Amino acid sequence: MMNIVVAMKQIPDLRQIRIRNGQPVLEDVPLTFGNIDKNALEAGVQLKEALGGKVMVVAVGSEALEDTVKEALAAGADEAYLVLDGKLENSDSARSAELIARIIKGIENVDLILFGEGSGDNYSGQVGSRVAGMLELPQASYVRSIEVNGNKATVVRSLEDCEEVLEMEMPLVLSVLADINEPRIPSVSQILKAGKKPREILDIEVPEGVQVKTISNLAPQMQRKQTSVESAQELIQVLAAEGYKGVK
Amino acid sequence: MAGILVYSNKGTLALELLNAAAALARVNSQGIKAVSINNSGMAADLAARGAEVYALDNEALLPADTAAIAESLRQLAEQLDVSIVLLSSDRRGKELAGRLAQIWRAGCLTDVKGLQSENGALLCIRNVLGGATVATQQIVNDRQVIALSPGAFAPAGELDGGIINPAVVEIKPSALKLLEVREKAGDSVDIEAADILVVVGQGVENQQDLSLIQQIAKALGAEVACSKPVASDKKWLGEERIVGLSGKICKPQLALILGVSGQVQFTVGIREAGTIVSINSDEKAFMNSMADYVLVADLKDVIPELAKQLA
Amino acid sequence: MGSQGESFDALIVGGGLAGLAAAYTMAAEGLEVLLLERGDYCGAKNVTGGRIYINPVRELFPELWEKAPLERHIAHEEVCLMSRKSSITMRYNGAELKEEPYQSYSVLRGKFDKWLAKEAERKGAMIVTRSRVDDLIMEDGRVKGVIAGGEELRADVVIAADGVLSFTARKAGLQKNIDSKNYAVGFKEVIELDPGVMEERFNLNGNEGAARLFMGDATAGKFGGGFIYTNKTSLSLGMVVGIDALAENPDLKAPEILDRFKERPEVARLINGGETAEYSAHLIPEGGFKGMGELFGDGILVVGDAAGFSMNIGVTVRGMEYALASGYYAARAVSEAKAKNDFTRSSLSVYAGLLNDSFVMKDFINFKESLDTLDYPQLFTHYPELAGSIMKDLYQVPDGPKNRIYSTIRKYLTMGEIWGLLKLGRRMMKI
Ligand SMILES: Cc1cc2nc3c(=O)[nH]c(=O)nc-3n(C[C@H](O)[C@H](O)[C@H](O)COP(=O)(O)OP(=O)(O)OC[C@H]3O[C@@H](n4cnc5c(N)ncnc54)[C@H](O)[C@@H]3O)c2cc1C
Ligand SMILES: Cc1cc2nc3c(=O)[nH]c(=O)nc-3n(C[C@H](O)[C@H](O)[C@H](O)COP(=O)(O)OP(=O)(O)OC[C@H]3O[C@@H](n4cnc5c(N)ncnc54)[C@H](O)[C@@H]3O)c2cc1C
Ligand SMILES: Nc1ncnc2c1ncn2[C@@H]1O[C@H](COP(=O)(O)O)[C@@H](O)[C@H]1O
Repeated sequence: MMNIVVAMKQIPDLRQIRIRNGQPVLEDVPLTFGNIDKNALEAGVQLKEALGGKVMVVAVGSEALEDTVKEALAAGADEAYLVLDGKLENSDSARSAELIARIIKGIENVDLILFGEGSGDNYSGQVGSRVAGMLELPQASYVRSIEVNGNKATVVRSLEDCEEVLEMEMPLVLSVLADINEPRIPSVSQILKAGKKPREILDIEVPEGVQVKTISNLAPQMQRKQTSVESAQELIQVLAAEGYKGVK
Repeated sequence: MAGILVYSNKGTLALELLNAAAALARVNSQGIKAVSINNSGMAADLAARGAEVYALDNEALLPADTAAIAESLRQLAEQLDVSIVLLSSDRRGKELAGRLAQIWRAGCLTDVKGLQSENGALLCIRNVLGGATVATQQIVNDRQVIALSPGAFAPAGELDGGIINPAVVEIKPSALKLLEVREKAGDSVDIEAADILVVVGQGVENQQDLSLIQQIAKALGAEVACSKPVASDKKWLGEERIVGLSGKICKPQLALILGVSGQVQFTVGIREAGTIVSINSDEKAFMNSMADYVLVADLKDVIPELAKQLA
Repeated sequence: MGSQGESFDALIVGGGLAGLAAAYTMAAEGLEVLLLERGDYCGAKNVTGGRIYINPVRELFPELWEKAPLERHIAHEEVCLMSRKSSITMRYNGAELKEEPYQSYSVLRGKFDKWLAKEAERKGAMIVTRSRVDDLIMEDGRVKGVIAGGEELRADVVIAADGVLSFTARKAGLQKNIDSKNYAVGFKEVIELDPGVMEERFNLNGNEGAARLFMGDATAGKFGGGFIYTNKTSLSLGMVVGIDALAENPDLKAPEILDRFKERPEVARLINGGETAEYSAHLIPEGGFKGMGELFGDGILVVGDAAGFSMNIGVTVRGMEYALASGYYAARAVSEAKAKNDFTRSSLSVYAGLLNDSFVMKDFINFKESLDTLDYPQLFTHYPELAGSIMKDLYQVPDGPKNRIYSTIRKYLTMGEIWGLLKLGRRMMKI
């Protein structure tokens, strides 16, 4: 039996963000969970299915999260623990991590805490490490596989040039890579049942201050020629005209 | 500005950090504090660049044990009274950054690709929204942990005045056992260094076409790179060839992009290329809208044609 | 939910206006309804020109209109006849356009459908998005439910609200032959424009909106027309072209027709400085009464575009009111069937009766011949060219003495043509 916590971040659907006057337009962009967070959830659900236990989603964000979290409950989570506050729409990693750690401290007998390698929007890979630091738990990020034996887990951490096989004792914090699995697509009846699963909205005060201030956030200007060519041959001609070597 | 401490477990990255620190302190590397862990070669190297090196030699300290390395750096940061710790934003460095920031009570940013100093404030430049935008951000804490993208800064050059001091920290025995380290198969290609890249996306439907693509690359004097799914899901090419947010940020003179849809996490890795060519059967593919030359065509026909024409 | 797994009173395929209207109405009557929509959210992919007429459907949804996220009420109407190099614009001013209750509004489906979905959920409907129906469950020739994502979902009745070329209606054997003559293609852009600039450019007071319709060279002389509607902070611009017309000119690519339209000076100055935020293309049923399939079967009803309830009246398309109303009447029919616990074809035929008594079928019968009349090329080439030439002569001051106006007109128009223009003008005022 395992008690597994999965931290998931609500983000705007990145494919639907448009740029207006160099600024990203986020209004009316549907919210979802980050892709890699869905891998983290799938990893948790697979462990639960193999060993028994419970998967709890922990998320902190704006009020819309109450709706978004249904996605996770449909995809196999059993319960959700949320902190909702408009301020959290643009939180920094430190504050999110603090709130997540406080939620987790309130849950009993947690064995495994799973994160995505990076959130879909900020992709800074900080929150999981911060939570591990706050809870003083061992950690590994960039995890490609997890195997649990009793109170030990064998995980493979994938770095740029090598893979490390680690044996670690639970409780434990892991951040997973997208390669770890293929998240399931919930069925209609799972989606309908998700609406009835327990969702606890915690009354934790959200601190005002953030440690990171964003001075500007602009889409890079790209000036491209945007010329159509009709054939491979014409392409080679234009590249040759630009003087690329090897192109005759 | 109180002191700056730099650490990476990779030699080349540590030298880049040293250079970035020097620019920040508006001095040369002299006086900048650098940590080496169980690596006397790196300690010597850093000292040869003028750094004040603190060499931690403690066999109990495993690089794989993020908790222990973070705790060691926290103790050193306090002992040496620095206010900024620079780390490398490779996977190891990113994992470390959050933990160190938490236990040292610092603000933190990772994947920082540029630094600017403005009216005494240190501004960090990094991609956000999956790469759709570039943000300028400031850590408002006194203590800052900043992880710099590999390659964003040149390595520091040689300089006199370096020194190596022994360092001591107290750590608990490791809770983690390193069972095995497997070298990753794959050639050591450096797509970031290539002048020309031929980028394979999922629009390349037949694995057999890879050999033709290699011919095309050879004719152009190019390296072959790819989008993430081509390496991670299909495993046609090694992960070191991935262009994008979780791969490499490349700035070749020419990028020939074959069948890539152009989602931001990809384009962030190629948008600074000199000339971009996109070949895609979908006229409306986003990649086309950021290309200099667009060929709307089926790659099944174009790849053999290009190979033939360039042969 | 029923006891034997997932079973509902009604299952709706498609969350456009038709499906949502049905879901809203049935849920309000206490039925267990599940609506499946394949898009990320309701409204995500739904394409429309952008003008909805409220009067015909006002009474059907009395609680809705006050809070509905509509854009601007249309208070300015213009029709522009375009020839290759010139155009004539007719402006219609009517006091009724500026009086409440307003007749028509511009609308953006992304907002409107999303909101209507929330309202339907508030009434108790279950809506699942990102869920595509892949098949129908058919038993003894009766529709018993749907299959989505490999899962069987059963219901007393299925409502096909999946839009044009309805896969559901075809599967149930209700829509047999698909004739390309009965379809047009619509292209549409949403162009963001500063509201101040828009209000000045279109002469709008406050929340007033404008409708601009274009015909003639707008579609390179093909059956169809172009339109611009003003939204709160954007313009909806698009055109509608017959598929056959496109098929005849394979060289004429859709985006090019739209680009040509946008480059026309009459259009260019209206959209100048705007930024295209969305582009979409969509099929439009326009077979009218004759192109309609069967509307009901055993355990199934067909609503909205799926049933062919959309009408191309020359320069614009009407479909949203029909979608809303047919969804409403289908819901009523299901309620009646539920009371009898009889979901057979004959029990569900109440739907056809309700539609026949409503504006929906009356409109379609009225316009029965319209497609044929509209389908003569003169309307889209000859008249605009003609009108353009007349106006050019009128306003041009030639070297010699200027002809008297009457003779100028006579030079181009025969009596028959004058008559034709008049009829056309009358029809256009109805649009
Ligand atoms: C946090 C995060 C980080 C990520 N990091 C990266 C990253 O670093 N790098 C990366 O690449 N991705 C990354 N991704 C994934 C990214 O979002 C996209 O999924 C990926 O880039 C898509 O790859 P693709 O364009 O090759 O494939 P697809 O999106 O499947 O596109 C294939 C393209 O090929 C075209 N095509 C298909 N058949 C043909 C044909 N016969 N002829 C011509 N054209 C054809 C199609 O029109 C299409 O445009 C990341 C995602 C996340 C969430
Ligand atoms: C360019 C253009 C301009 C127009 N202008 C106007 C106008 O100005 N005024 C007007 O009144 N009308 C106009 N119309 C017509 C009007 O938009 C349509 O008649 C109306 O949208 C029909 O609504 P609907 O709900 O029947 O269909 P749709 O809005 O098409 O909804 C069908 C829904 O079903 C979903 N779906 C389809 N298949 C499945 C499946 N297998 N599983 C699950 N879901 C599925 C689709 O995703 C979609 O959301 C215009 C149409 C076009 C294309
Ligand atoms: N607001 C949040 N709520 C829940 N989990 C979060 C939140 N922000 C980040 N996470 C988790 O932390 C991981 C790393 O996020 P980041 O540090 O932003 O890259 C994500 O993949 C999530 O698993």
